[in-house]
Amino acid sequence: MIPLDVLGNAIVMTVVITVSSFLIGAILGVPLVLLRTSRFGVVRVLTRALIDVLRGVPPVVWIFILYFGVSSDVIKLDPLTAAIGGLGVISCAYLAEIYRGGLLSVHAGQTEAAQALGFGQVGIFTRIVAPQAFRVCLPSAATYGIGLLKDSSLASTIGVAEIAFRATAQARSGGDGITPFVIAGVLYIALSMPLAYLSRTLDTKLRMKVSV
Amino acid sequence: MISVANLKKSYGDHTVLDGVSIEIQRGEVVAMIGPSGAGKSTLLRCLNLLERPDSGRITIGDTVVDLPAKIPVRTLETLRKTAGMVFQSFNLFPHLSVLRNVSLAQEYVLGRDAKAAHQRSMELLERVGLADKAGSYPARLSGGQQQRIAIARALAMEPEVMLFDEPTSALDPELGLDVLAVMRELAASGMTMVVVTHEIHFAQDVSDRVVMMADGGIIEQGDPAQVLSSPANPRTQRFLKAVIDR
Ligand SMILES: Nc1ncnc2c1ncn2[C@@H]1O[C@H](COP(=O)(O)OP(=O)(O)OP(=O)(O)O)[C@@H](O)[C@H]1O
Ligand SMILES: [Mg+2]
Repeated sequence: MIPLDVLGNAIVMTVVITVSSFLIGAILGVPLVLLRTSRFGVVRVLTRALIDVLRGVPPVVWIFILYFGVSSDVIKLDPLTAAIGGLGVISCAYLAEIYRGGLLSVHAGQTEAAQALGFGQVGIFTRIVAPQAFRVCLPSAATYGIGLLKDSSLASTIGVAEIAFRATAQARSGGDGITPFVIAGVLYIALSMPLAYLSRTLDTKLRMKVSV
Repeated sequence: MISVANLKKSYGDHTVLDGVSIEIQRGEVVAMIGPSGAGKSTLLRCLNLLERPDSGRITIGDTVVDLPAKIPVRTLETLRKTAGMVFQSFNLFPHLSVLRNVSLAQEYVLGRDAKAAHQRSMELLERVGLADKAGSYPARLSGGQQQRIAIARALAMEPEVMLFDEPTSALDPELGLDVLAVMRELAASGMTMVVVTHEIHFAQDVSDRVVMMADGGIIEQGDPAQVLSSPANPRTQRFLKAVIDR
């Protein structure tokens, strides 16, 4: 059997990769969506192209690009950083699109009402539009987060000692080949459950308050 | 109080306002009627620059907007503070409680402190008869209640002019009554009001002047009793007959 502390470290590693890359996406997704919905057509088109490129390349390829490509003599990226960076890059693109859906769902009358009250652009965004868009985004963002949790297993390909990596190592070290992967699967499900639950309860709560 | 001179607005090659001019005195209540597509909403929305006119001049209070020159941000802010607006679809902020709906802009735009904003909000909710709903969220309220809160929200900015765009059109006739009662009270208190409406009774009883718009222009205006009961323009006659027959 895998020693408990090794298992614990593997779980922590999976959580660190998932949470960090999600946060990178959640934060960098904001400027990205602002550019994506810019007043200027050129900016919109360029941002859209960028988002398509970021999303078009599979996660494992991004991780390899960062680990074997970018990581050269000049910059040295350790496996963990490369994994977080690779998944983070994709997350900003996906979350920017999720944000955009949320922003589009806010009725134009909201902006007009705020304008008529004398709010400026910044106030309209921060006080009126973004909070409403956020509620709409929540379920899709949580679903994306669960996807990201599963994608974090790709970090095993460059040797990050997270759950999938440990399961593979254990299976190879002989004995029973299936049990480590069953345990890994159970762990992934267990980790995703709180997220799914949180998203569902928050969603219902906010819906009760807000829906029209 | 309000002066509009030769205001023009088109969308592409479709002219929506074709050189509209009108003077409105302080304390006057003007009811604007006319068929769909006449340009009533567009005119109202031009008054607080939700829509940017192509040319002409708008004066509200001390604020002058000359088009097509660029409008300074300061002018825009003052104009919108001077003119409050109530929409057909209420447009309350669904993520905020009734109280926050009324107090947010006081704090954020006028810079009132939270306590003063709270107090003023409660006064206004009292005035529209909904103080007991302060903690509710808009989705829980009837359309008539929402519209009265929208009126309180606009009044919280202490406007000198109130613009109403068909405030009761989205409501069951019965629910509209409470909204109209609030508007009557507001008119009686001396507020300058421009009301786009199909409520002929309201126009008759409350307004000081009825303005009839058609095809992007004002085709007739005057004393409510005269315009509504014996209009001079055949177009007005046809329109009123259609409204009353409905
Ligand atoms: N954003 C827009 N883009 C293009 N055309 C518009 C726009 N807004 C209004 N119009 C057109 O301008 C004309 C006047 O519209 P407006 O909403 O001012 O009419 P209205 O008198 O308020 O009519 P209603 O009684 O139906 O509200 C209409 O023909 C409408 O189609
Ligand atoms: Mg209209």
